[in-house]
Amino acid sequence: MNLRLIAVPVVIVLTATTSTALAHHSFAMFDTEHPIEISGTVKEFRFVNPHSVLVVVVRGEDGVVKDWILECPAPGIMARQGMTANSLKPGDPFKGTISPLHSGEAGGSYFPPQINLSNTGPVAAPK
Amino acid sequence: MPFRSMMGWTTAVALITGPVAAQQLFDESKYPAFEGQWIRTGPIERYDPTKPPSRGQQAPLTPEYQAIFEANLADVAKGGFGDDPVYSCIPEGMPRAMNLILPMEFVIKRNTTYIHMEYLSMLRRIYTDGRDFSQDEAPSWMGYSIGKWIDETGSGHFDVLEVETRNLKNPRTYDASGVPMHKDGQTTVKERFYLDKSNPDILYDQVTTYDHALTRPWTVMKTMRREHNAIWVESVCNENNLQVNIGNEHYMLNEAGELMPAKKDQPPPDLKHFNQSKK
Repeated sequence: MNLRLIAVPVVIVLTATTSTALAHHSFAMFDTEHPIEISGTVKEFRFVNPHSVLVVVVRGEDGVVKDWILECPAPGIMARQGMTANSLKPGDPFKGTISPLHSGEAGGSYFPPQINLSNTGPVAAPK
Repeated sequence: MPFRSMMGWTTAVALITGPVAAQQLFDESKYPAFEGQWIRTGPIERYDPTKPPSRGQQAPLTPEYQAIFEANLADVAKGGFGDDPVYSCIPEGMPRAMNLILPMEFVIKRNTTYIHMEYLSMLRRIYTDGRDFSQDEAPSWMGYSIGKWIDETGSGHFDVLEVETRNLKNPRTYDASGVPMHKDGQTTVKERFYLDKSNPDILYDQVTTYDHALTRPWTVMKTMRREHNAIWVESVCNENNLQVNIGNEHYMLNEAGELMPAKKDQPPPDLKHFNQSKK
């Protein structure tokens, strides 16, 4: 089983996940400037408020296995874009780009690629 | 005496039956089609949806409150939350609630119009019965709102809801970047809700905030679209909030419910009330 933490910078633009890409709170505790890619196995997916939580079992390059806790968007945002409590199941392989915690602990924020926080249409001019 | 007696009777009737507006029959057809689910358009969590977040909002803050905002941003840069209280599940309050992270709906009744907001299960109660502002009600995050239905075109139907909200409770900010409100809690928010004239599935909310942290009233336009295939999702913030506030610091919980630092090299909370030798 391929459980690896690839702690290398990921050169991508995370849509709306800068330090002020917000919902319930600022994402300031997450290092959105230096996203990393992790891969492992889904241990748990909680479709809960104020943020859904994804727990991924990851084996680091040092061989140590850790549970990474990832804050995801609120169920109200994800449900409207097709995700459900069963979209991620225990045992599913996981590979994704996350914004890790500034503290260096095994955690971060994760926005599933299908989630767009600004998909509600343009700002219309008042008439 | 007959006159005194009549005055007393009139007063008693008024007390029992409420303000004059409350006595008018409720004719649903006179009200605009505000029913259904309304979803924010544009980016998430902006007071002014037409401008970038944080400093990009160009909030007209006084120098004192600009300095407070800069201090918030400095804390955010270190991984903190600044003065933003919402991470600990305190409601956004007004006017931030109208940033509309998640959808809302109107419930229009004879004496009151309600706005139910999915996010954090916030509820706005707008009295439209002609009353004046309460003088002795405790402040609240959603405030005390008085509304007035207006027939601007003389069509015999209301087309605008004007709302004034006062008596707001602190702490509040305009957004999660920590654009601050004045600590005196004297904020007044005035709004005008109305439908687009050519597209009734577009709703506008012109919001003007009066606050002593501002150099001038700050007016923005919120635009919402009606969702015809609405779903509603319960939003109870305390269900699984991983963000923990202890003293003046915030920490994060891991999957086992253990406390983790949220900032690099963050000291642990003071454990002096715990017997460490029992570990």
